[in-house]
Order: sequence, then C-alpha cells, then structure tokens
Amino acid sequence: MLRFLTRRVIGAAVILVIISGVTFFLFFVIPADPARLACGKVCPPETLAQARHNLGLDHPVAVQFVSWLGGIFVGRDYPGLGNCPAPCLGYSFVNRAPVFETIIDRLPVTIALTIGASVIFLTFGVATGIIAALRQGKALDKIASISSLVGASMQIYFVGTLAMYFFVYQAHIFPQPKYIPITEDPVGWFNGLLLPWIVLAIIFTANYTRMTRSTMVENLSEDYVRTARAKGMSGRSVVMRFALRGTLTPIITIFGVDLGQLIGGAIITETTFGLQGIGRLSVRAVDYSDLPTLMATVLVAAGAIVGMNIVVDALYAVIDPRVRLS
Amino acid sequence: MFLEVNELTVDFHTEDGVVHAVDRLSFQVERGTTLGIVGESGSGKSVTNLAVLGLHNPETAKISGSIAFDGQELIGASRSSMEKLRGDRIAMIFQDPLTSLSPFHTIGAQIAEVYRKHKGVSRSSARDRAIEMLDRVGIPQPKLRVDDYPHQFSGGMRQRAMIAMALVCDPGLLIADEPTTALDVTVQAQILDLLSELQEQSGTAIVLITHDLGVVANTAHNVLVMYAGRAVERGTTHEVLREPRHPYTWGLLGSMPSLRRPVDLPLAPVRGTPPSLIHLPSGCPFHPRCDYLKLLGKEVCAGDRPELSPEHGHGDACYLTLKQKAELRERPVEETK
Amino acid sequence: MNHRKRSALAVVAAASLALVGACAPGNAGAPSSAPASAGASSAPAAEAYKPPTITLGTAEDSKGPAIPPEGVVKGGTVTMIDRDDFAHFDPAQIYVNTDANFGLLISRGLTGYKRVAKGDYKLVGDLATDAGTVSDGGKTWTFTLKDGVKWQDGSPITSADVKWSVERMFAPFVTFGPNYIQTWLTSENYKKDYPGPYGGKELDNIETPDAKSIVFKFNSPHADANYAFAMAGYNIVPKAKDTKEKYDKEPVSSGPYIIKSHVVDKSLELARNPNWDAATDPIRGAYPDVWKMEFGQEATQVTDRLVADSGPDQTAFTFYSNTPAERLQQVLGDASLADRRMISPSPYGNYYYFNLDRVKDQKIRQAINYAWPAKQIQQALGGPQAVALPTTILNENTTVGYKPYDLFGKLAKPEGDIEKAKQLLAESSNPHPTIVYAYNNLPTQEPVTLVIKNALEKAGIKVVAKSLDRKTYYDSISQTKNEFDLYWGGWGADWPSGSTVMPIIFGPVSDGGQNMSHLNDPTVKAEMKKIEENPDIDAANAAWMNLDKQIQETITPMVVAENRIGTFLHGSKVGGAEIDPQQWIVSPNTIFVKQ
Repeated sequence: MLRFLTRRVIGAAVILVIISGVTFFLFFVIPADPARLACGKVCPPETLAQARHNLGLDHPVAVQFVSWLGGIFVGRDYPGLGNCPAPCLGYSFVNRAPVFETIIDRLPVTIALTIGASVIFLTFGVATGIIAALRQGKALDKIASISSLVGASMQIYFVGTLAMYFFVYQAHIFPQPKYIPITEDPVGWFNGLLLPWIVLAIIFTANYTRMTRSTMVENLSEDYVRTARAKGMSGRSVVMRFALRGTLTPIITIFGVDLGQLIGGAIITETTFGLQGIGRLSVRAVDYSDLPTLMATVLVAAGAIVGMNIVVDALYAVIDPRVRLS
Repeated sequence: MFLEVNELTVDFHTEDGVVHAVDRLSFQVERGTTLGIVGESGSGKSVTNLAVLGLHNPETAKISGSIAFDGQELIGASRSSMEKLRGDRIAMIFQDPLTSLSPFHTIGAQIAEVYRKHKGVSRSSARDRAIEMLDRVGIPQPKLRVDDYPHQFSGGMRQRAMIAMALVCDPGLLIADEPTTALDVTVQAQILDLLSELQEQSGTAIVLITHDLGVVANTAHNVLVMYAGRAVERGTTHEVLREPRHPYTWGLLGSMPSLRRPVDLPLAPVRGTPPSLIHLPSGCPFHPRCDYLKLLGKEVCAGDRPELSPEHGHGDACYLTLKQKAELRERPVEETK
Repeated sequence: MNHRKRSALAVVAAASLALVGACAPGNAGAPSSAPASAGASSAPAAEAYKPPTITLGTAEDSKGPAIPPEGVVKGGTVTMIDRDDFAHFDPAQIYVNTDANFGLLISRGLTGYKRVAKGDYKLVGDLATDAGTVSDGGKTWTFTLKDGVKWQDGSPITSADVKWSVERMFAPFVTFGPNYIQTWLTSENYKKDYPGPYGGKELDNIETPDAKSIVFKFNSPHADANYAFAMAGYNIVPKAKDTKEKYDKEPVSSGPYIIKSHVVDKSLELARNPNWDAATDPIRGAYPDVWKMEFGQEATQVTDRLVADSGPDQTAFTFYSNTPAERLQQVLGDASLADRRMISPSPYGNYYYFNLDRVKDQKIRQAINYAWPAKQIQQALGGPQAVALPTTILNENTTVGYKPYDLFGKLAKPEGDIEKAKQLLAESSNPHPTIVYAYNNLPTQEPVTLVIKNALEKAGIKVVAKSLDRKTYYDSISQTKNEFDLYWGGWGADWPSGSTVMPIIFGPVSDGGQNMSHLNDPTVKAEMKKIEENPDIDAANAAWMNLDKQIQETITPMVVAENRIGTFLHGSKVGGAEIDPQQWIVSPNTIFVKQ
C-alpha cells in the first residue's frame, strides 16, 4: 500500500508539473499583455517596461517557468513588489499579493461548500437510491426516479437564482449566503452556507440516487447477498453490510470525480451565491489575465482531481480486499 | 418425518405470463438421511429449496401447499421466525462458492457472523468456533486462514468454508444446491465425502440438489427426479439407479458417463430442450421429448397428467406399464430409435 | 492598456481586460454606452437630466464642515456591496473611479470637489486653504495647508508630506496612477528625468518655504493644475510612514476613516479616524460611524438584494453596481423604487472613429453622420432609459462650460436622415462607398452592428462588419495601420475640462495610442496648444467647447456615439445617496444611515 501510494504521488507530481508547464506556455500565446494591466491609464513605454520588469516578464518564457517552479520551493523576490516566501506560486499583479496567500484564503470557502454539499447529496442520494432499489417499481421508486431526473436536468444558475429570490429575498427563510470561518462562528458558518449546500445538493443528489439504485438492484441479486439471507441475516443487515458494500465502489468513483471538480472550483455556484472561493478566483484570473493566480487555480483544480483519484484508488483497496492484494 | 413437503406449488408472475416453476411437488426427508433431487436446469430443484428456506420474493412468487419442518409449517411463517430458522436449523450451501461468499468480508467473519447471530455469543467465542469449523471441514492452519478473504482460497477450500459456514450452528437440515458443480472432479469427491462424514457425525438431514446422478449415487439415500417442476420418479438411490422407471430418468442416466457402459458407446444427452414453464405441454410434460411416445400414442401421453405411482416407495409418473419399462430399460437407447 | 478613464477596471463587468483598455462606459467595454448630452436627452422618468455645474470655490467655500444633505443623521453602520474589491489604497497607484471614490474615505489631497447642492459642485481647497493661487502666467501654483490637518496618528500634515507624495510618484514601483503633474514638472520622459525620492534626491521645482506652504513650478502654464490635484492619485502619503510598494496595503489615513479590517475580495470595515477634524474638511460628511463593505456580489445579485430591501440590506447601497440590462425594466418599472433609484448618464466620451487614413472624403463622413441610426441603436440597447444620445465630443458631465450643439440634425431626426446622406454622397468622390466597420465581439454589439449596417446601406453605403475578439479589440483598432474604416473607442476626462480629452484623442498618432481617427491637423494642434497654455481657465473651457464643434464641422473625424445611462439602487434606510456625475459612482461624502 505504501509503495502504491508513493508511486501514485510521484506520478501525480509529474502530471501537475506538466499541466503547469502547458498552462504557462499557453498563457503566453494569448495576445493580451499582462504588463499593461500592471500599468495605469497613462502608460508610457518606460512605465510599461518597468511594469514588465517588476513582474519578471522580461525574461524568456522558459526561464520564467523555471523561476516560477523554483519559487514553489525556495520563494522569490519580485523587484518593486516585494518578497514572496515559499511556497511561492507567484505574485499576483492584480491582487498585489503572493498568490499562495490568496489561495489559502479562498480554499476554505470552496472546501466548506464542497464538503457540506457532499454530506447532503451523498446521504440523500445514497439513501433514496437504496430505498428505490428496495421498493423497485413501487410509488417511492418512481418518485425517486422522477425527482432525480428533474434534479439532474436542473442547472445551478437556475435553481440557485430561484432559491435566492424566494428563500432569501422574498421569504427571508435563509440569510444572504456568505462564508464565515467555522472557527469564528460555527452557527454563522452553517447558516451562511446552508442554502448553497442545499442547492448544490439538489443538482448532485440525482446522480447518486440513480447510481445507487442501479448498482443496488444488481447487488441485491448477487449470490453472496442470497447467501447472507440464507444465513438468517436480517433484511437491514443484508442491505447495509452486504449489498451496500458492493455499491460503494461505483459511488466512490463518481464521488471522487465530483469532489475533485468541486474543489477545483464550483464557478457557477460561487458566482450565484456571491461566495469567494477558488472558482470565482479562477474566473477573475482569466478576466484579468492574472497568470500567477490562473496557474494556481489550475493547479488546485488539477491537484484536486489527481489527488481525489489517488484517494479513490486507495479507498477501492479499503472497500474491496480483492483490489488490495492484486 | 423431519421435512415433509406436500403439494408444493410455486408460480412466478412475470410480464410474459405465469411461470409454473414447481407444480404440486411432494417429498420427505428423514433425519440423518440425504435426499438427492435430480433434474436439468429449470426443472424446479432450486426453486423448491429456496421455497423451503423462504427466500422467494413474496411480491413475485406465489407459493402454496405445505412445507413442514420438524412439525413446523414454513409456508406463511413470519419473516422473523424464518430468519431465526435460516442458518441455524436449516442451512444452505450454493453452487459457486466464489460468488456466494461475500468478497468484502473475511472467511472467519462470515462464519462467525452466523454463529453470533443465532447463538448470541461473544465475538471471540464466535471466532473460536469459526476456527474450529474450518478445522472440521479440513482447512489446514485454520487459525491463519480464518482472516483470509474468499479470493485467497482455492475453489475447494471455498466450498469447505461454505460448508463450515452452513454447519456452524449444527443445523438439522442442510440444503446443498449443486455443491460440487463448479469444482474439479477430484475436489468434488472430497467435498461429497466431507458432507457424508459430517452427516455421520451430526445426523444432519441433507437435501442434495444436482443434475448429476453420479453424485447422487455415492451420497444420497433417496432420490427425487424432477422434470418441469414435477416429480417424475422417486425412490431409494438403489432403486432408482438400478431400476429406473421413467424415460426421463433413463435419459439422465444415458447422459452420464459410467464404468458399467461400454466406453465406445457415445454419451447420449436427453434429446430436445426443456419445455417452457409458462406454456407447459399437457399431460406428461416430458412427452414432446419422449422416445417412447409412439408406444402409447399422443392421446395418452398428452391427455391427463400422470401421477407418481405407486404412492409410496419407488414410484414414477409414466403411463408405460412396469413390464414395458423393465423391457425397455434393458435395451440400449439406440435400438429403440 | 490604459486608456479610458478611471472607471474602467472596476465598472466594467466582465471583460476586464478589454475594459481597461477601453474604458468604460458602456461598461462592457464597448459601445454600448453613451451619454446624454444634448441637453435633456436622457431622462428616464420624464424628468430631464441636468448635467452638473462645476465652479471654482473660494477660501470661504474651502472651510469645513461639509454641507449636509437634507435630513442627515450622524452615526450608525452603512453597508456597501459590490463585485470587486478596491485594487489600490496607495494614492500614487489610483486611477480608476472605484479606487478614487474609496480614497475619499481614507485620504485627502490639496483640492477636491465640494457638493453645494444636488448637481452643483465647487472645486475647493481640501487640505489647502483654497483651490490654489496661480502666478507666473500659469506656471507657478502655490498652496497653503490648513491648520489642524493631521495624520491618523495625530502628527500634523506638512508641506514636506505633499512634496514627498508627488516625488514618490516618479519611483519605479508606481505604474498605475496619473502622470500629469509629473510631466509638467519635468518632461514626457518623467521617469528618466527623476528616479523618485528614495535615493535622497529631491525635485527642485517643488518648494516648501515653510511647513504650511508648497509651491509647484511647472515648465509651461497649466491654468487647471488645481483640477489635476483633485485627482485621487495626487492624494498625499506621509513621508515618515512611507513603506514604498507595501504602502498600497497599509495606507495611513488622512481622511475621516481608518481601515479596521480588510480581507481581500471579501470584506472591508472602516472605523472613524479620531484625528480627522470635520471642521477642516469641506468635502466629506463622514456621517456613518462604521462602514462595512462586502465584495463578490455580481450586479444582478446586488440589484436583487437592494430591490428586496430586507433586514440588514435596508442600510446597504452600492458604489458602482449598475443595474444590469436584464433587471432594468423591472427596476425602472417599479414605482415603489422611485425614491431609492439614482440615475446618471456616464461621464465618458464614446465615439465611432473614422480612420481618416482610409475614409478620406469628409462628405462621406458627414453623410454617415446624417444617416447614423442613433435612435435604433438606442432601442437595441434598451431604449431611452438605458442610453442617451449625445451630439458633442465632450461629455456634458465632465465639461465646465458645456454648450450643446447639433451639427447633423440628430435632435430632429435621431433615426437618421437618409435623404440628406444620399445628397452628400452624391456630391462626394464615391456615391456608393464601402465601409469596413470593426466591432468588439460582445453580445450587445451584434444587434447594434446590424442596425448600423441596415441604416448605412439604405443610404447606399456598403458595410463590411468585422468582428474582433474582445481581448484584442483595443490592440487591433489602435494600430495606426489598421484595416478598418470605422470603430468604437472611448475616453474619459480626468477633470472637467477639454484639456484631458482633446489633446489625447486628437494627440500624437502612434500604435497603441489614443488618437484612433489619426487626425493630424496643424490648425487643430496649434489651437489645442494655445488653449492649454491659456492662463484664463474660463476662456480655455469656452475655447475647448468651440474646438469640439469646429473639429466636427471642419473635419468630422467621428460619429459621436450613444452613452450609457446608469441606474443604481440603495436601501430604504440609506440617505444622501447620490451619483457623482463626474465619477459615475455613488459618492460616500453624503451617505448617511436613517434611524
């Protein structure tokens, strides 16, 4: 297991370096000049050159990339801007701060959003999936199928905007969504994120309901489930200990993908609810041609997906002993 | 009588129509004896035994008749009383031990679980019991293997583990559904020997479901031959194998390799295909495949349904006379064609 | 690059990059906007929009406290919600209107604009006792600091601080702010002329005879230097507490508030500065005790929240979240919002420039002006409530001495005069010319382009429309050798005078420059130089207005474009909210919280 993890982590690091490199070079293909953004309304050529120098943009792209990579380990000094301590993901000329600081500031928002929503959609999705599977063809099953179909076809900007309008502006059931660190005010943290969680969960639950239902139906007809029943195991323990166990693998698989993507930034959700997470940050970085921030958000997104992949693979081994030894 | 099944009928309601899986089936099993139930796939063997265990989905399966186990009626029994019975007094082992054992739990856990459930003992004594059972079924180094997962066992060892799991509570009745089909021939014999040995030790009644009369020959005291959900022949193993009476039984025997047959005689599988259980042939359900239909004529064989006769002892369901049967039995199959 | 006005970065919604370049108004960077002018043009709710009057105040006017708005209440907490955080706190790096507007809360400069009444402003001394004294034919400006003006730590603000603040704008790390004063003190190459004060070198032509007096000696006359000093970029920084590039994050307050907490892009809270004395400040009311600002709210959300006006949002307003197009009908149509609605056309100049190197015949340019479907464009962009139709180059909101004119009959026929256009074309070198129109590839521009094409083709002009990517739009059209005949561009004044518009949009022709029509006329150049050096500011302002008309009459380098009208909302418990017509942003100076 340790060897497996070591190998995977090294592989992931290589992938991330490649992704960074590609992003970095692609960025320089864009015709927009970031130095111009670091230069005011009145931007004489000398000021522009100065801005370019301040940002380290006066070196060849490859050199810039190497400095950027190096900065992650040893930090960097930006002339005229200041020091960027390791791990330095670059210095944002838009936010005028080391990008790492900004990422560390935004990540908790995205993670809180992701985890809260995950708890809801995982619980509801799997529970309704199980119930639907056990009540195949019954009214409950049909309701679950239809609502998951409806849920899956919803878009966050639609549901989110409606929810905001009715529950926040009209009925005042929820407060204006916002992020308060849990360490500051756990209740405020919960209340501020509840609506985004629910809305996000509405969209995602459907997937889990369908996935759980179909694999559960399959698993309920597995031989070992029949064995369990033949052993006199009660209905609940047959479902939870045996059938559900086999359903976990596909659920974990899609959950890993979803989680990776959400941590990479729920752009539309964050925009709809005015939350300042990684998603918003990445959009803004694109808007402002803020390369260092853009790089960092790409890295976070890629890292989340690659990392979740490793976690999922490791979880497979935990769930299924057959994977562990082969 | 320990297990007495009377007029058991199991119908499944499907979109295509009603599947008559078991039709007015009756048989008995005594303590300490083995009943072999023989038939092709789809003959209703497994359905019958799942009915005994109450494992059919009540939504889809319609079950009537009577199943009396040690005096207790099982048809219509409550779910909880069936759960108490299963694994404790009636146990079952299945054909493919790989798929029938949970891949997610250790062998030991799966065995101990049954014991804890029914005997209410502590975790550690259940584990000790599991090790003891593994030892009894002949797993070497049971203390080490108890924490293995099924995929770490060989096929034969898995079936041994399955048997250990089935017998952990000393059940009065063991239903073994094709316990050796998925195994190598040498392993098959070991498993069957094991079952017999255990039976001698504990006096368990065994219902052995198989499509292989050879298995029955060595293991079972009594045999029930099923075709299309019905019993077509019943008797002691000796009677049925020595003097098989039903043409279907002949067919089964003909499809079985035997040391008593000349080696150059090719195996002859029963010709034709099993009938649809939704649209059963009238009269004797075997008549469309029967080689001797012309002896009696279709009006007879497709007329009324033949019942097992005589009612007790060695009986079969065929309109041929005993004499005809005795004559036909002695001829090689080829000659009658 | 840089072009447009202060608004750019912030105001614009999405396309920031593009925006900066362009500036603004229309907010989306492109031509969606447009002003009002023509006198009473805009006016959504029937009441005509009146551009502000801006006059020069006296020493008496420069005394504090500020004139309070009606019904003012002191105290309480006000909330400001917007999309983006402020980019800069170091005055030297401030150019855009959002940063400048916020700067009013924490920093002061030599001069500033005092609100006398709605739509009535005076340029007065802020830290200075008056709006400055000019001598030496406009080359020398002298200011005297008021008594009792202090930094947040209680130390007095001195002339050395003022001198230092201007000197440090030459330093290499300063790349954002305005550069007028710097070039006037040295030359166009001001960064080469002087490296900033950090190495110990001073600028000799800023003199501080005593702790209260400061004298600027320019190389040429600049009668409007006191207006230049009113730019937030020239607000002051304490010499003793200057932390160079870090100052942008840790400013020292000279204004009524101190930044109590700031989480970038999320929130900002202001508390009172105990060392600010209202009696010295004629500009800032500073009525609320506490300011809370929330960032990250899109304009749609800001609008929805303010319309809903529930709970805490009753004491909320927005600096710059203009009601987006999809909410405009709702907001304008709701009578209950009438007293919470603020409306103002943008202060920017918006132009469809002719490329004079390609469209050489003035008759054709005039014909296009006559045929121009101003009214149809207005309809395409949301109607008269969303868009005004100015007819002058200079914007009514940012021009002292503004005088409207209507050269091409746009008041009578805003939909275009095809007959007149045809007649002019018939007299021209080519009655059926082909015009290549380049436009910014934004959703709003497709319908506008179609409208233009249809109208011009009716007059017999073939229009070839070229869609340009929004990220490269400004780069493409500001190439002097571009392949286009007509394209939109914008520019905003830095103070209310033609002197920050005309010499730029008709200035040097260069790649990436602002003279997009490539107008290079010796008469115009001479006239502009003459006006710039005119020590009589009133005469100069009148002359800019005349030049405006003269250029359109004799050269016709552009079609004056439509101007966007902004509609802003505030919560029901917010009082004194008004759009600053020059900045197109809600001014913090008059805001108060109703009890």
